[in-house]
Amino acid sequence: MTKSILLACSGGYSTSMLVERMKKVASEKGVDVVIEATAESSIDTFADSIDVIMLGPQMAHAEKDLKAKYDLPIATIDMMDYGMMNGEKVLNTALKLIEGNQ
Amino acid sequence: MNNEQEIMQIIVHGGNARSKALMAVRSSREQDFELADEQIAEAKEAMGIAHKVQTKLIQAETRGEKIEINLLMVHAQDHLMNAMTVVDLAVEMIADKKERVGK
Repeated sequence: MTKSILLACSGGYSTSMLVERMKKVASEKGVDVVIEATAESSIDTFADSIDVIMLGPQMAHAEKDLKAKYDLPIATIDMMDYGMMNGEKVLNTALKLIEGNQ
Repeated sequence: MNNEQEIMQIIVHGGNARSKALMAVRSSREQDFELADEQIAEAKEAMGIAHKVQTKLIQAETRGEKIEINLLMVHAQDHLMNAMTVVDLAVEMIADKKERVGK
């Protein structure tokens, strides 16, 4: 089944860049996954159709509240991975979180 | 480190500073002032790192090196200014909370 990953930050701009990197890695490896980026305020729109939420490091303060709100694995992206736009590592972390939740 | 990675440093550390500052305000609401102070210290440290990168870029430009201004750079400046404001306000809010509960 296609997995669905949502990346969220305050505006959705820098996560969009990371999403492009992740998509590239996913297609190179043939991973069946849909990856999208959004602003924190729009998570609701996606909540029914996603398997994991990855937060930009600037959203770390919201992790607790979001975990209480959504019954989904939610994690904050490692600062180094984010800064280096390491699509591969973030993709792997997200996939592991989905696996762990099944 | 390439230009994009440098800009990302501003976004990540600026964003981290903002996040820590907001956590600190939350801690002070829960009257855990020790934790709030710690988080403010972390926020200021992150702010310092973001600012260092910014200063480096400004200095390079002053030396006549061409700095590429793209949307990502503009976005980083947004992050930086926003973080500074949030950290400053968080410090004030925590001080105010401390005064109101007599700490």
